[in-house]
Formats: sequence, C-alpha cells, structure tokens
Amino acid sequence: MSFLDKLKSLFAGTRQDDGGSALPEIPCEEALSFVHDFLDGELSGVSQNQVKAHLDACQRCYPHLHLEEVFREAIRRAGTEQQDPAELKVKLMELLAEAGA
Amino acid sequence: MTDSPAAAAAGFEAEALPHLDAVYRFALRLSGSPDQAEDLVQETFVRAYKAWGQYARGYGAAKSWLFTICRNVSLRGRERRQRHDEIVTENVGRDGPGSNPVNPVWVSVLGVDPEGDFFESIVEERIIQAIDDLPEEYRTAVVLSDLEGLPYADIAELMEVPVGTVKSRLFRGRRQFQSVLYDYAVEMGYIAARAGTDE
Repeated sequence: MSFLDKLKSLFAGTRQDDGGSALPEIPCEEALSFVHDFLDGELSGVSQNQVKAHLDACQRCYPHLHLEEVFREAIRRAGTEQQDPAELKVKLMELLAEAGA
Repeated sequence: MTDSPAAAAAGFEAEALPHLDAVYRFALRLSGSPDQAEDLVQETFVRAYKAWGQYARGYGAAKSWLFTICRNVSLRGRERRQRHDEIVTENVGRDGPGSNPVNPVWVSVLGVDPEGDFFESIVEERIIQAIDDLPEEYRTAVVLSDLEGLPYADIAELMEVPVGTVKSRLFRGRRQFQSVLYDYAVEMGYIAARAGTDE
C-alpha cells in the first residue's frame, strides 16, 4: 500500500490492515477503552491493527497510550530489581532433598 | 505419571526451579516481607515437588501452577490470622473496564509532563510500596499481569475468578496505583500539580 493510498484511506475514514482489507474507524472513547487489552495483547472483538492504527495516529489518544506504556515500564523496572537471595536457593535444594528422601 | 524418582526430580529441576525468581517476587508482593516471602517460597516449592507426579505438564504452565500454590499458601496463612479485611465488590460496569475510559490521572499528567518523565524520579522502593499497599485482589492481578506477564485466562484460573473479574481488578488496581504514584510525585515536587485534576 502506497503512502498516498494510506492518506486516502485516512481521509476516507477507513484504515487498511496488513492484509489490505478495509477496517472501520473506531471512535476515541472506544479506542481508549481498549488501551489495557491492547497492551496486554488480549483484545477480542476488534483487531490489534485496528486499535493500533487509531492509537498511533490520534493526537488525543496516543498520549494516553504512551503514559500507560511508561507506567508499565516503571513497574517492570521496579519489580525486577528485587532478586531472590542466593541462600534461599541453597535452603530450598536442601528442603527438596529431604522431601524426596 | 510413571516417572522414576530420579526422572521426576530432574523434571522438577528443569521445569519448576527456573521460576524461583518469579515466585520469590510474587511471594514478596503477597507477604510484604523478605522473611515471610522466603517461607512462602519454600513451602510452595516443597508442595509442588511432592505433587509433581500429579502435575499435568505443558509448555509454560509450571509458572502459573507455582503461582497458584504460592497464592493458596499465602491466603491460607492469612485466613488463619484474620478474616478478609476488605470485601472488594466486583461490579465491572460501575467502576471497571465499562466505566470512563479516559484516565483522570493521565489527564492531569498530560497538562504538565506529557512524556511521563516523573516516573524516572520515583525510586523503585516507592513503586514497590505502592504495589504492596493495594488491596490483595488488585495487587495479585497487577503483579501477575504487569510484572510476570501472565495472560488474563491464566490469572483468572489462578485466582479462581472469571476473566471479566480479572480485567476489572486490573483496571481498578492500575488506576489506584497510578493515582498513588501521581500524588506522591506531586508531593515530592517531581511534577507540578495541575489545577482542576478531574476531567
């Protein structure tokens, strides 16, 4: 799909997915309600491409998606900072050896 | 399952033990203390080891199974100490995915820090504390989804609730969590307060 075709489809109120089939526009309220499911890869009843097309292109919705992504990254960073203490592994192996005896 | 003890031990070591870090993180969030988390992890793995023969093996399933045992052990321990301290009503339509999709916290943030740079200023300990302060139902869902990347269906099975309830708990847990971090960032001066924070 050429850049010009993409522009035309945007102005025509439809977007194209990777397969080339026309996807109906979704309104902002609906797109925002899909943000969590979209980031979690759990969308149902609507395609990932359809929601992505709206969120990536919409000046109102994209900032919400971005903040949600930054927030999740902060959680992941904080969570993975904490590793198990090394001695726990040793203790656990001893316990498992006893349990298996 | 007809594995010999040696084969079972090898299977457990190969499939269950690699999840020790993840189970410890989860236990830490459930219990809030390293000592209790260690006890929880040890009990979880010993139970899992003893029940390994009944475990229906499947790709990626051991992690969810260990989380299930860990949570059950934690909940039973807590029940012995106290009855449920908070009843979380599950009404998806009232205050869940069906409610206002515009996040009021992000509306406030967008006015002053659209890139969300303030998150960089919040120390990891404060973020962890905000997770720990969430009600158990929210905390478990948020940790399993946002820290451990489990799919909704696995979380639902683990928490013994419908998928819709998982979504509701994630929705409300994340919003509560975000609100706490935003308030903290304002309090610490990492972000300017915005007049009229509601939509």
